[in-house]
Amino acid sequence: MSDASDDSPEGDPTDSFAQGTGSDEPRITFYGGRGMSALPIAFFIVWAIAQTALWRISDTSGLVVGILIGLILGMFFVRGDWKTYANTIFEGMTQPVAVTAIVAWIWAGMFAEVLQDGGFVDGLVWLADVGGIGAALFPALTFVLAALFTTGIGTGYGAAIAFVTLFFPAGILLGANPILLFGAILSGAIFGDNLAPVSDTTIVSAVTQDSDIGGVVASRFKYVIIAAVVAFVGYLVAGQFMGGLEIAGDAQEIFVAESEPIGLVHLVSMGVVIGAAVAGRHIVEAISWGIVVAIAFSLALGLMNVGDIVSFNAPEDAPVAEPLEFLPVLTIVEDADAVGVGGSLIEGAAGFFELAILVLLIIAAAQIMIRGGAFQAILDWSIENLATNVRNAELTMVGSSALINAVITINTAAEVAIGPYISKIGERFNLNGYRRANILDAQTAALGYIFPWSGGVLAGYTAMQDLPGEYDWFEPGMLVTPIDVVPFVFQGWLLVAVFVVAAITGFGREYLIDRESEEVARL
Amino acid sequence: MSLLTKYLKGWRFRSTTPSLETGDEINVFVAETNGTDEGLAYIGDTELRIEGAGPDTVEKRVRVRVTAFDETDATARGEFLEVVGESSYTG
Repeated sequence: MSDASDDSPEGDPTDSFAQGTGSDEPRITFYGGRGMSALPIAFFIVWAIAQTALWRISDTSGLVVGILIGLILGMFFVRGDWKTYANTIFEGMTQPVAVTAIVAWIWAGMFAEVLQDGGFVDGLVWLADVGGIGAALFPALTFVLAALFTTGIGTGYGAAIAFVTLFFPAGILLGANPILLFGAILSGAIFGDNLAPVSDTTIVSAVTQDSDIGGVVASRFKYVIIAAVVAFVGYLVAGQFMGGLEIAGDAQEIFVAESEPIGLVHLVSMGVVIGAAVAGRHIVEAISWGIVVAIAFSLALGLMNVGDIVSFNAPEDAPVAEPLEFLPVLTIVEDADAVGVGGSLIEGAAGFFELAILVLLIIAAAQIMIRGGAFQAILDWSIENLATNVRNAELTMVGSSALINAVITINTAAEVAIGPYISKIGERFNLNGYRRANILDAQTAALGYIFPWSGGVLAGYTAMQDLPGEYDWFEPGMLVTPIDVVPFVFQGWLLVAVFVVAAITGFGREYLIDRESEEVARL
Repeated sequence: MSLLTKYLKGWRFRSTTPSLETGDEINVFVAETNGTDEGLAYIGDTELRIEGAGPDTVEKRVRVRVTAFDETDATARGEFLEVVGESSYTG
């Protein structure tokens, strides 16, 4: 903060910063000060690191217990009535951004599962084999395809799920390194999440910085493509040095030899989703069309039957099971354990039910942090001490949006929370809306797919956990532990680095006097 | 602006202290005021003092006519013309 601002309180942007979080004063007060409101999140992060990194236990329900205990512990430090704390948990859980992410996960999960069961992985392996794409090239190729796919559909979470379900097993069979593969998938998701006009984070970045979406996308292309070119080279080089896994027996050779091109018909299913999204259809509508087309192709070409899509396994003593046994979706089972509903759609969706609960609870804990003032305290400090000139202001914008996205699981939620601060700091130095939106969204997209508790990583990792049940050759030991992938999300780290360099050197910086962003308008 | 022009815009290194042209009319956000009749806007690290921009213009986008610019210490003076817009967050 400059000297000039110190003697002019009205000009101090921190005065009005609280507007962005919807409250001027912390609504919950804690013994130990504002910082204690970060206890639930902090406890959860420690728990998540211990469980997933130190003890290598990949269990989403364990993480759910971690955040639940964190939320209970935090309550004991609340001054006064605990009811406000409890209500804030509900307030956080009912935020639209959390529900939006969950909907995207479930729809993408169903879509990816139908494609997988419809032989798409088979087709990919065939194509890679025929095309001579070896293990070393596969991660780089996966990065490019995931980037294109995400740019089309706009949801990086959905892309992470689809590519982990489909490309990950294909790559492992071809001998690619699994950690590098997962990193390449997450990198592609970051690329598209950052650049796609239909991406929720792109839209939030434009809207919160009062800029048109088309202009935002065009102006951020330069940063994204620089990071992507370096990331692509990174995956090419790393692919040469990082070896794949040994698949037991001759499963690898058999799978490759038996792979057939017919599953590639689902490229059309993917194209339908991308086309519908680019045409401006809602993501639920776009993926639903993809599911319909994928099911139609699979049934018509004999890749699946109706029972593979939805199946009811009824017990023998069910009252009207036997008369209706002719239905292709109904099977009478003798084993009581086999009773249930199965098929691609339920398996694709059900994989994300636990994760949905986890995310709702994390968003609740983040809301406690916002209402309790820890979030404000961190930002106040950074603005007072760091944003003293335009270069430092931009570095502060990069740092603060990176920090909040590193802490809050759902990056859109983090972006909504930090948006007003980025706006205030940027406007103070007359940075135009495009520059502000680009700084904001790059960190949002990047940090949402790097850490073990990031939504994108959790989504991909959850999808990965179904693979051992899907393929005989896929052993649980082949799963990538989220902490291991952190250094290999090249696009994420490079995007942050590009913006640090851009802030220091002035690359791409635009002031209001250079160009004013156009009116906000969704595509 | 054509689509291609939009994609090619901004591929350059921009100064922390941009120059202003005397006589130009520009839009800027006012950062502070002296409490009476002069506002201060930062365009990067260039300081623009705006005559006539009182407290009610703080954090608003205003139209200013530049009346003087000193490149050596990156300071400028200008006349307040009108308020043309609000902050992205007006509360």
